[in-house]
Amino acid sequence: MSADPLLVETIERLLGDLVTPDLIEHAETTGWSGTTWDALAGAGFPWVGIDESAGGSGGTEFDLAAILAAVGRFAAPVPMAETAMIGGWLLAQAGLELPTGPVSALDGLAEIRGGRLVIDGTAAWGRHADRIVVASGSTVFAIEPGLVEIGPGANIAGEPRDRITADLAVDDVPHAVITGVAAPFDAPFDAQVAARTRGALSRVVMAAGALGAVSQMTIDYAHARHQFGKPIATFQAVQSHLVTAAQCAVAAQMAADVAVRALAGGGTGAVGFEVAAARVVVDGAITIGTRAAHQAHGAMGVTREYPLHQLTRRLWSWRHEWGTTKQWRRAAGACVVERGADGLFPLISA
Amino acid sequence: MKFEPVELSAAERQLQTEVIEFLDAELPRGSYTPGLGMSAANDVEFSKKLGARGWLGMSLPREYGGQARTAVDRFIVVEQLLRRGAPVGHHWVADRQSGPVIARFGTEEQKHRFLPAISSGEIGFCIGMSEPDSGSDLASLSMRATRDGDGWVLDGTKIWTTNAHHLQYCIALARTTPRDELTDKRQGMTQFIVDLTSPGLTITPIPFIDGTADFCEVVYDHVFVPDSMVLGEVGHGWAQNTSELAYERGGPDRWLSSYLVVEELLRRESAADRQGDDELLDLLGALVPMYWVLHHLSLSVARTIDQGGAPAVESSLVKEMGTRFEQDVVSAVLAYVDEAPNTGDQSLFGVILMNAALTQPSFTVRGGTNEVLKSVASKGLRPTGGER
Ligand SMILES: Cc1cc2nc3c(=O)[nH]c(=O)nc-3n(C[C@H](O)[C@H](O)[C@H](O)COP(=O)(O)OP(=O)(O)OC[C@H]3O[C@@H](n4cnc5c(N)ncnc54)[C@H](O)[C@@H]3O)c2cc1C
Repeated sequence: MSADPLLVETIERLLGDLVTPDLIEHAETTGWSGTTWDALAGAGFPWVGIDESAGGSGGTEFDLAAILAAVGRFAAPVPMAETAMIGGWLLAQAGLELPTGPVSALDGLAEIRGGRLVIDGTAAWGRHADRIVVASGSTVFAIEPGLVEIGPGANIAGEPRDRITADLAVDDVPHAVITGVAAPFDAPFDAQVAARTRGALSRVVMAAGALGAVSQMTIDYAHARHQFGKPIATFQAVQSHLVTAAQCAVAAQMAADVAVRALAGGGTGAVGFEVAAARVVVDGAITIGTRAAHQAHGAMGVTREYPLHQLTRRLWSWRHEWGTTKQWRRAAGACVVERGADGLFPLISA
Repeated sequence: MKFEPVELSAAERQLQTEVIEFLDAELPRGSYTPGLGMSAANDVEFSKKLGARGWLGMSLPREYGGQARTAVDRFIVVEQLLRRGAPVGHHWVADRQSGPVIARFGTEEQKHRFLPAISSGEIGFCIGMSEPDSGSDLASLSMRATRDGDGWVLDGTKIWTTNAHHLQYCIALARTTPRDELTDKRQGMTQFIVDLTSPGLTITPIPFIDGTADFCEVVYDHVFVPDSMVLGEVGHGWAQNTSELAYERGGPDRWLSSYLVVEELLRRESAADRQGDDELLDLLGALVPMYWVLHHLSLSVARTIDQGGAPAVESSLVKEMGTRFEQDVVSAVLAYVDEAPNTGDQSLFGVILMNAALTQPSFTVRGGTNEVLKSVASKGLRPTGGER
C-alpha cells in the first residue's frame, strides 16, 4: 500500500542533486531539459507503473505516485506525468508500442467523425514528444508530432503546453481499441474519462509534492530570517502563516494518498469521487498555502533569485490542467447529489 | 509529521456496520432532535445503552470495566454518533478525557470506583479548568487548595464548566502551592476529582448565545476534597492536565459540529428537485471534499496514537483547520440559502441551521482557541536539519 522505499530514495536523490534552480530556469527558457529527461529515462522512471510485458518498468501506482510527487517537490521540468501516468499507460492498455522517448497526451477535444480523427487541445511538451497520445471513446491513438499542427505555448511556469490541432484519417494513425475494463474505472470503459482522471490525479500528486516543499521552505526561511533582532518565526503572526502552509500541505498530501489508493483499487471509495474531491482539496490548498508562504517570505518570495516561485508558479498552473477547478468541483458536487442525503456520510467516510 | 491514510481492517468495518445498525434502530430520523456534534443533548439512558454495547470507555483496561480497544475503534463509534447529532452530552467528557486521565494517573481505588461507572454510562464528568481571569492563560489560575486534615479545601470560581448542573463529577485544577512561593507559575497545581454534590458548591448555569444554558459558573466556597480524591501527584497538575488536553484534540468532534446542516440541506434540495443547480453543485463540491479529507486526517491521528506515536502537532493542525471549516460550512450554507436564519422555519434543516448560525463562534474557542493552537502547533514545525 505504499511505494518502494528504495525507489523513493533514488528518485529524491537523483532529482535533488540534478534539478537546481539554474537548471529549471534554463529549461523554462529553452522548453526542455535533456539532462533531466536522460537521467530519469536511464533509470527507467518514466515507465514505472506500466507492466514490463508492455515495455514498461513495472511497479505499482504507489511507486508511480512517489515519482510524480518528487517531480512536484523538485519542480523537475519533464513530462513524467504524461509519459508514465497518462500517455504511456493508455498505449500499454491498448497494446500499442511504447516509444523510447517522451510521450505526451492530449488534454482536450478528440472526436472520430466519418473515418476522421479531429483533435484540438493541449499537450504538455507536445513538441518534444515521440508520440502524442489521444483517447477518444475507447480508442487510443499514437500520433507522431509531425502529423499535427503544433502551436507552441507555455503555462506561467514556463512548461511547454502546446496547442495541438489536426484532422487526420483514422487509418493513417496507429490506433487500437481498449477492450477490457481497466480497474477501477466503471464499465463501459471510456479511455477519455480514464485519461482525464489519471491526468487530474497526476496534477494532484505533483501539487501535493510541491506544497510539501513550499511549506518546508517557508519554515526554513522563517527560522533563518531575522527582523527586530530575532527570527521572524518567533512572531505569532508569522507562526500562523507557517501553520496555514503546513495544514495545506498535509491536506493536499492526504487527498493525494487517498485518491492514489482509489486508483490502485484499494480502499472502498469510488475513484471518480475521490479524484474529484482530491482536486478540490488541492485547489483550496494551493490558493491558501501559497498565499501564506509568500507572505512569510516578504519580498524574497517574489524574486526569481529565490526558488519559491519555481514551485508556486507551477502550482498556480497545474490546478487548471486536466479539467479546471470549477469542472472538478461540480463533478464532486454531482457525485454528492447522486448519492443523496443518506449516501452523504458513507461517501465522506468510505 | 506523520499523516498516513488508514485502511480499516475487516473487524473495524464490522464495528462501523454494527454502530450504524444500532443507531438506525435506536435513533431513527424524526425520533429525536439532533444536536450539533459534541454539544448535543444529555440522555443518560442513551449513554447507558452505548455502555451496554461496550462503546463507552472503549480504551480503558478491561479490569476496570473498559474494553481495552483502540483509538481507531473509538473514532469509528464517535464519528457515527456525532454525525447524527446523537445525545452524547452526558458521557462525552468522561468518555473522551476524564476516563483516560483517571486510568493513567488515578489510584487503584479511583480506577475501581470511576472507570466501570464511566464505561457503563452511569456517571458523567465535567472539566473544571477555566476561571474568570484565566482562559487561554490557564496557568495563571487562582483557585486555592488549602491543606486541611485528610484532604484539601478548595476556594475560588470556575467558569464555563459545561454541564456542571447535570453531571456528577468534575476534575478541577487548583493551586496547592501559592503563586508567590513559585518561580514558575505552571508548578504547584493539582487535579482534584470533585463530587458535584459537595457542600460549599454553588452551580449557576450561564445563558448561552442560543438561549440554552449548558455551561455554568461554579463557585467553590470551602469545598472539602479528601486525599483519596486527589488525582495523580500533588504539584503535578499542570503536566497531567496538558496530557489530558492531548486526548481532546484532533478527533471527529472538531470537524463534524455543523455536518447535519449540509446533510439536511441536501435532503431539502433533493426533495425540491433542485439537485441540478450549478450553485448547489458548487456548494457541495466545495464542502464535501473537505469533510472527506478531514475524515482521513483525523482517522490517521487515531491510528498514530494506536501505533504508540504522540501526534501532538498533527492533532493541533487538524483541530485548528477542522474547527475553522465547521464555521465555513455554516457561512457557506447561509450564503446559499440567502435568507436570515429564523425561528419560523421548524423543519429539521431550519432548526439546525439556526442553532449552527448562533453557536458557530464557539467552535474555534472551546477546548483552547485557534490562536493558541496555532502557537502550539508552530513549535512543532521544525526547520530542515535542526531543532529550534
Ligand atoms: C462552549 C464552550 C464550552 C466550554 N466548556 C468549558 C468547560 O467545560 N470547562 C472549562 O474549563 N472551560 C470551558 N470552556 C472555556 C474555554 O476553554 C475557554 O473559552 C478558552 O480556553 C479560551 O479562554 P477565554 O474564553 O477566556 O478567552 P481569552 O483567553 O480571554 O481569549 C480571548 C481572545 O484572545 C486571544 N488570545 C489570548 N491569549 C492569546 C495569546 N497568547 N496569543 C494570541 N491570542 C491570544 C484568544 O485566542 C481569543 O481570541 C468552554 C468554552 C466554550 C466557548
